[in-house]
Amino acid sequence: MVRKIVARFNSLVESVGRTPLIGLPKLSPAPNVRLWAKMEDRNPTGSVKDRAALYMIEQAERDGLLKPGSTILEPTSGNTGISLAMIARLRGYQMICVMPENTSVERRQLLEMWGARIISSPSAGGSNEAVRVAKELARENPEWVFLYQYGNPANSQAHYESTGPELLEDLPTITHFIAGLGTTGTLMGAGRFFRDKKPDVEVIAAEPRYGELVYGLRNIDEGFIPELFDPSVLTRRFSVGAHDSVKRVRQLLDEEGIFAGISTGAILHAAIGIGDELVKAGKSGDIAFILCDAGWKYLSTGVYHGDVSDGEERLEGQLWA
Amino acid sequence: MSSESGASIEASIEVRIPTILRPYTGGAKVVSADGRTLRELIADLGARFNGLDERIMTDGALLKFINVYVNDEDVRFLGGLDLALNAGDKVTILPAVAGGAKNCGAI
Repeated sequence: MVRKIVARFNSLVESVGRTPLIGLPKLSPAPNVRLWAKMEDRNPTGSVKDRAALYMIEQAERDGLLKPGSTILEPTSGNTGISLAMIARLRGYQMICVMPENTSVERRQLLEMWGARIISSPSAGGSNEAVRVAKELARENPEWVFLYQYGNPANSQAHYESTGPELLEDLPTITHFIAGLGTTGTLMGAGRFFRDKKPDVEVIAAEPRYGELVYGLRNIDEGFIPELFDPSVLTRRFSVGAHDSVKRVRQLLDEEGIFAGISTGAILHAAIGIGDELVKAGKSGDIAFILCDAGWKYLSTGVYHGDVSDGEERLEGQLWA
Repeated sequence: MSSESGASIEASIEVRIPTILRPYTGGAKVVSADGRTLRELIADLGARFNGLDERIMTDGALLKFINVYVNDEDVRFLGGLDLALNAGDKVTILPAVAGGAKNCGAI
């Protein structure tokens, strides 16, 4: 449901969503090809994941799965766990996150601050392994509530009912919607909303391409595609490496004064590429993209200082999105 | 692209190979191959590196957990295996994963 802009809320969770859409006058490639950032860092725990976390928890409450004192289990590399832990704390649930060991210190600290317990999964295999371990724990502990963001329709529903409508309300002339591809919830939800309400909007995925260590599966059959993913919702899909992501996140800071997390750099890179294509084709456009979170959690990576190429090296082997 | 016999033409398309498929390329991260379409390119990879093509496509389709990008764009949204290629294109092959972890100690 789209809320009107108000500045007073009865509790923190009620302030999820209705984030500002900020124009990027300097990075927009032409006066008639404009870029717009959906500022998801303005959510209560500072990321777009607050929307999905709230919807998944409230759906589980309606389904009678979550009751006071229940324990929530989730595989997460950070933001979703942080969002769930905040809401769990306010609603009286226990929170257990399965995270690959050696994830960044800020994310662990934030999770623990909001009272989450962390179970480490082996670092080899990354998030794939965290998903596998969480699925195993869910089977062994059927009393735990396994929300499972990669396959939970409430994740994409949050974006169908909030992110998409907010964008269309604030930018009725929208021509392109660009977001990151992780659980695929943002793109599937907001993308389906545009398919229904304004079908000519192009729905574009920007997928982070990590250092090669991250792709070190033992067997190709261990590959993973989120259950939520329906490729027919997408128009195009780009893979963006660390160099371009760092370059763009720095450009966003230097030219527009916006301090975003690294994954937003990947999304902005795709947005600028699309903008340049439109200019070359003599077309106009309003390109809206998701700014997933701010840069605070990634300061320890060092990518905001020194040369862009130094920043790229610092991300080698890291899960930076 | 020349219509002469393919063997003598210098391969013009750079292909990045993921770790899991490097046993087929003698460990090479980047190899060169040729093809007017992606389908031909993958067949050419198989001709140069025995068995590599079958780890990318079978029965005329890309494998489920394999993603192929031409100039950083997913080919599944560009016409798939029939996508026309040009000299100088950069092709990246990656397995589908849920993301990874800092310093993950994978092989």
